[in-house]
Amino acid sequence: MIMNPITNRQVLDLPIRESGAKNRNRIISGGALVVALAVLTVVLPFVTSGYVIYIANLLLVFTVLSLGMHIVIGEAGQFSLSHAAFYGLGIYTAGLLNNAFGLPLILNIIAGGLVAGLCGLAIGFLSLRMRDIYLALSTFAFGEAMQWIFLNWTPVTGGPNGLNFQPAHLFGFTFLSDKAAYPVVLILALVFVAATFVIHFSTLGRSFRAVRESEIAAAAVGIDVKRVKIFAFALSAFYAGAAGGLFTTFSTFIHPESLGFHTTILVLTMVVVGGIGSVSGAIGGAIVFGLISELLRQVPSYQEVIYGGILILFMMYLPRGIFSLIGRR
Amino acid sequence: MSAILAIEDVTVRFGGLTAVNKFSMAVQKGAIHALIGPNGAGKSTVFNCISRIYQPSEGRITLNGEDISKLKSHSMAGRGVARSFQNLELFNELTVLENVMLGAYSRCDTTFLQRLTPRPKQTLEQAEEILESTGLKNYRNTKASGLDFGHQKLLEVARALAISPQLLLLDEPAAGLRSREIERLDELLTSLNKTKGITILLVEHVMQLVMSISDRISVLSFGEKIAEGTPTEVKNHPRVIEAYLGTKEAGRG
Repeated sequence: MIMNPITNRQVLDLPIRESGAKNRNRIISGGALVVALAVLTVVLPFVTSGYVIYIANLLLVFTVLSLGMHIVIGEAGQFSLSHAAFYGLGIYTAGLLNNAFGLPLILNIIAGGLVAGLCGLAIGFLSLRMRDIYLALSTFAFGEAMQWIFLNWTPVTGGPNGLNFQPAHLFGFTFLSDKAAYPVVLILALVFVAATFVIHFSTLGRSFRAVRESEIAAAAVGIDVKRVKIFAFALSAFYAGAAGGLFTTFSTFIHPESLGFHTTILVLTMVVVGGIGSVSGAIGGAIVFGLISELLRQVPSYQEVIYGGILILFMMYLPRGIFSLIGRR
Repeated sequence: MSAILAIEDVTVRFGGLTAVNKFSMAVQKGAIHALIGPNGAGKSTVFNCISRIYQPSEGRITLNGEDISKLKSHSMAGRGVARSFQNLELFNELTVLENVMLGAYSRCDTTFLQRLTPRPKQTLEQAEEILESTGLKNYRNTKASGLDFGHQKLLEVARALAISPQLLLLDEPAAGLRSREIERLDELLTSLNKTKGITILLVEHVMQLVMSISDRISVLSFGEKIAEGTPTEVKNHPRVIEAYLGTKEAGRG
């Protein structure tokens, strides 16, 4: 036992858990991945066709959706099964505003985010007093109800025929192709990535995680648990709504069919595959799983089964996500 | 001396069971006050009433004269009341440093923009200081779940200290600790009380600690207060001996 000569107390003699070398490897592998991704995103529009750029745009939208899901599940530890509905609210709000007033893209996106966020606030207020399965079920019910509204409120949403919107515009520039939209989608998606990192490392993010880890201890340090939960839920809905607005940058058509439960499950899978609780995992999961889901469109009848299978396998064998293999603990 | 905390005729019932019956107690400002009693006597129930997790069926609890019996649990930290938990309620997946920084949640970062600051300087400095004084410094980046039991207990206290409490409620801080660790806890609590003037109310079974640091002891048995006084008075009180060891007749038999 080693004693501190001054205080005559035992000096802690257990090894410090994290070794420097392991840490350095993590930073190097993580850094290399980020650089590769950055190069790819810049080079992409110069070397590929419209379809690939469309996929890239879609992956960026999925990234924002996945980050939103990360906030509510990964940070605050609360269930949400209504992300497709918030996403849809964002798409319809942005699209309809664009059709009616021809507002600049940014305003449409903010409006989409706000409408979804306010709905999230209301749903959160009502359902977050419940726990676990009951919370999951009530958010699921909201998601289903919203899809029903999208499908049946024909005068506004176009109902089962879907809705066409005018091409979005910003600073006098109209986005007529995927390629034209790509830089804007990329920049806005990066804004959300940055915002999520800021939240993750802030007091706000810590308070989210405190609620996730122990509600009773969170309250003991002065965190208003209910308020924090509702806020996380609304913030996550805002992300989803903004992702919907972002979608209208490069797409001029939406059908309610694509706003059902399977979309929520897709986003949930992204977060799980990437690693629950990790921001980079949520981004990586969106990219990897977005690509997988796009490939699976070749075999639409097996799509859901394969999603489910992947989800189960990850929960069983890699609960910390695919990125736990390369670096992150 | 004046009372920082006054519990007046508090009764707590769970269904048909009366866990605490007409319990009264006053904790003097600057004192180390222990609440002891056999298992199931209602000590933790009293604690949970003070930290507003349970609602007393009857009675009143005041903090510096303010009635707190209707307040929400999360509003206690802002009033300088901190607590540790008997069965560890740490933020397991967060680091030791993050756990302690969260302790300061109620005091700083009041506006939304401030809440978005990554590591508020003041909070960080204070957290480092607490880690230093509690001997957890070498573990600052370890997840709470990765600590051994003794250090987890210590982290409970460290996080409570980050609240900058005027009243510290400790629920069995020494339970499960080795005797060396208990000695260190004894030193830590005494120094917090003497140098920072923190009033401490603790529930504890480890008599070595209770008798050594307490100014005053209240004894609870089957939900009722059976004795109160200085350690010496309580130690020799016939009803306390009876509650802990049984009656003399039973002892002889």
